[in-house]
Amino acid sequence: MATVAGSQARTSVLNGIVSWVKQRVHARRGPLTPPFELEYRHIFVLPTSFGWGFGAMLVFMALGGLNFNNNMALMLVFLLGTIAQLTTLIAYRNLSGLKIDRIYAEPVFTGEPARFRVFISNDDTRQRFAVQAGFKDSLDCRDLELNANETLELKHPTTQRGWLEMPSFRLETRFPLGLFKAWAWIFPQTRGLVYPAPARKAPPLPRTGRGQGGRATRGDGDQVHGLRKYQPGDSIQRVAWRASARHNELYSLEMETPKEEACELDWDLLKGGDTETRLSILTAWVIAADHKQLSYSLNLPGEFIPRGDGVNHRLKCLETLALYLL
Amino acid sequence: MKRAKHIKLNRQGILWVVAALSISMLPQLAAMPAHLIPITLLPIVWRLLAEFRDWKPMPMVLRVLATGFAVAALVITYGGLMGRSAAVSMLALMLSLKLLETFRIRDARIVVSLSLFLCGTQFLFSQGVPMIIYITACVLSSLLALMYLHRGEAYGNLGKAPDNDRGILTELGFGVRLVALAFPIGLVLFLLFPRWSSPLWGIPEDALDARSGLSDSMTPGSIQSLFMDDSPAFRATFEGVIPSHGQLYWRGPVFWDFDGSTWQVSFLSRNLMADTKPDPGRAPLRYEVQMEPTEQRWLFALDYPALVPRRTRLTMDYQILSRRPVTQLFTYAMASNPNFQDTPQLRQTLLRAALELPQGFNPRTAEMMAEWRTEANSDTEIIQRTLAHFNREEFSYTLNPPLLSRHTVDEFLFDTRAGFCEHYASAFTVMMRMAGIPARVVTGYQGGYYNNIGSYVLVRQSDAHAWSEVWVRGSGWTRIDPTAAVAPERVEQGAVDSLAQRRHLFDFEWLRNVRNTFDLFQRGWNNWVVAFGADSQSRLLSIFGWDVLNSTKLVIVMIATIAFVGAITFLLAPLLLKFRSPRKQDPVLRAWQKFNRKLARAGFVSSPSMGPLELAECAGGQLKYKDDAIHRIAELYTLCRYSQADGDALKLAELVNGFKPEPAVR
Repeated sequence: MATVAGSQARTSVLNGIVSWVKQRVHARRGPLTPPFELEYRHIFVLPTSFGWGFGAMLVFMALGGLNFNNNMALMLVFLLGTIAQLTTLIAYRNLSGLKIDRIYAEPVFTGEPARFRVFISNDDTRQRFAVQAGFKDSLDCRDLELNANETLELKHPTTQRGWLEMPSFRLETRFPLGLFKAWAWIFPQTRGLVYPAPARKAPPLPRTGRGQGGRATRGDGDQVHGLRKYQPGDSIQRVAWRASARHNELYSLEMETPKEEACELDWDLLKGGDTETRLSILTAWVIAADHKQLSYSLNLPGEFIPRGDGVNHRLKCLETLALYLL
Repeated sequence: MKRAKHIKLNRQGILWVVAALSISMLPQLAAMPAHLIPITLLPIVWRLLAEFRDWKPMPMVLRVLATGFAVAALVITYGGLMGRSAAVSMLALMLSLKLLETFRIRDARIVVSLSLFLCGTQFLFSQGVPMIIYITACVLSSLLALMYLHRGEAYGNLGKAPDNDRGILTELGFGVRLVALAFPIGLVLFLLFPRWSSPLWGIPEDALDARSGLSDSMTPGSIQSLFMDDSPAFRATFEGVIPSHGQLYWRGPVFWDFDGSTWQVSFLSRNLMADTKPDPGRAPLRYEVQMEPTEQRWLFALDYPALVPRRTRLTMDYQILSRRPVTQLFTYAMASNPNFQDTPQLRQTLLRAALELPQGFNPRTAEMMAEWRTEANSDTEIIQRTLAHFNREEFSYTLNPPLLSRHTVDEFLFDTRAGFCEHYASAFTVMMRMAGIPARVVTGYQGGYYNNIGSYVLVRQSDAHAWSEVWVRGSGWTRIDPTAAVAPERVEQGAVDSLAQRRHLFDFEWLRNVRNTFDLFQRGWNNWVVAFGADSQSRLLSIFGWDVLNSTKLVIVMIATIAFVGAITFLLAPLLLKFRSPRKQDPVLRAWQKFNRKLARAGFVSSPSMGPLELAECAGGQLKYKDDAIHRIAELYTLCRYSQADGDALKLAELVNGFKPEPAVR
């Protein structure tokens, strides 16, 4: 037990030091908001644990070589040491001049990992190898050709709805030998939207649609809407052969999907249950209604989104649910 | 995030790790006893099979058992784990066994690092010129392995292969460039890093391995085994005249004690110092000896040494003994006077020692010598008669003499009559003692190869020789070489050339000559690299006008030089480390990028969202230049890009090359 506590204390001390350094860096160099280019003052280089081990081995070899005046062993040590030293420069050059164009977060549902996309580009004449970025649990890696753009995807776990501020992260590389890591701390000012988790067992959609039903949408569907002139791209199965034969011209059937009735998603329908449960049921309903292409409205205490449909409507509803009372 | 500890090795990774390990193991494999080789190779083979057949890692119990078995085999072979050979074999074996559990990046990195360490230990055994190839192969293969491991680690989290594999040649080229960039700084470090004038810890003496070379005892067959060994024993560079081949008797261990089969160095000869020695000022032969490590104490010199190098002593039978075993290349100045009179007055104890023989051996010889004694008037007559006996009777000089049992001298003289220099020297000395003439056996080297280009004498192990010395009243100890009586060509031409048959399959005279000439490089390498030390450092610095520096000043000079060389490296690095794109770059794209750069230089800022035609429109409006050219380039680019038939990449490149925009109007 004591050792566990001790090691925990050690890690917490270590974390403390790291976060203190990070704060200093943050205070000195300010938030780096994309787009920006990595410069020498952003980049730190330190040995990796393997690098320390390798260095220790070189020290042992050097001691032996000096003691026995073994010049070839010494030459080997000096050569390897210089190569190792040279890799710090290479690692640094692998990062410097790299451009972070923008950082973008896709909205996710609570429980799913938030995905932050870091768009980086390499305008330089040199290739970049194994540029990594990540938070604690995920690490993405890319090579960049000359004049290439790449996207690094960083995942962060989500536990609650609302805005998720993107934590600072490291853009790092251990190229070429893994002896040294060069990294830059990035303090993005990006936030990602986290929707409430849709309820697993949501009650069926309320059929409280008043007034007219939705209009059927044309396109693929089960019901025949009418005939129209054949256009290139129409499926051969949809060609109305009989009509075409009559008019000596190709006609194809136009299909449609009948629209179901509209519905109203109302907070007050969900009696009982706390706010989060209600929100997650509403979220599930929004998804279900959108899936069925219903026209729906959302009614929360203090917020009302009139009836509508389509992607933007859905996003608006979900955002409202995500930020409700926050 | 997953770190090297957990990430699995990919196939490329393990193959390169195995390659790096195998290469660094090669010299050790060649040096270890034959039965250890399969034990060392087996884990490597298992690991490769495991890779290709998807075997699971070996269970812990089996690994421990395998390790125990291997260590036991090693201990039995070497009689313990002391000694360099044993220790380095152990390292090689353990590294090979480590492969059994090397399934993760971290373990693989340990193996690669320790392979480099193993490579470093090999220089304890040899620092010859061929080792340059070895060191290069080791460093390059390890760098490649580390590069692949790094790639495996970086992409290991993604669970997918790296998107663009650069191919071995590109990686190798990168490794070569790394080494090339690092070499100058490494060289500065090598030249200027302060050396220790004396070691912090020495090699414990019981840890020395008996190496090829003369030893402190002589049994029939011991020199003969040296005869197959063409490695250099030492090189001597003469000032002035070089004695003829027949005069080159390099004195080594001297033997007084004989037990019937083996000659041993006596207690007396080890511990009594020489009373007199030749006057160095009047010694006619002056030379410098560069001696390869022997792990013995003997230094070699022509008869009779007039100088005593530092940390050595001269015994009463003129052996030069070093205080510590010679474990590294050792250079000493020497002067010799062949006309020196060795011990005209022999003390009683030594006289007795020089006549002593074991009882109950060689009765037939004893009988013959007693007869000769009575027939002869003087010692000289007996000596002459014995040599004549060897010469006249059917004695032959051969590499493969029949085995001798108890009465070695009897059997040799009367039955087999075939032997090697040691047989003759031993028999002759025993005969002399039986006749009442004080005698002893001297071993050493005879002759050597005179390298015309380097004007030095190269003495190889195969030049090892044994002869006798008899003490004659009035003239002291006198060298008698009974082998010369049987095979004079041995002394005149050298041991190898005097043999009728080849020693082994590749023993050709021309090949030996090539090797002897090539030895010049080895000597230069020895002088400039292997023997480089504190002295050479101060000599080097004195060229630049700095006299003997202490280590603090040396470090300052070193840091300054490194800063200078490092700055050059820093400037060169971007040029040398540039990667050529693995795919051939599209000429159309190249031309377009050049065009963009030209526009940018002229002050036109394009935005990434612009298409080519839009860009031309904007640029044409902004830049003071004939719009026509910009538009034509943009149109041709679009054609090249989107319509395969109409595009002409060459034409586009031509247009772009001829394009000279003028600075933007402000």
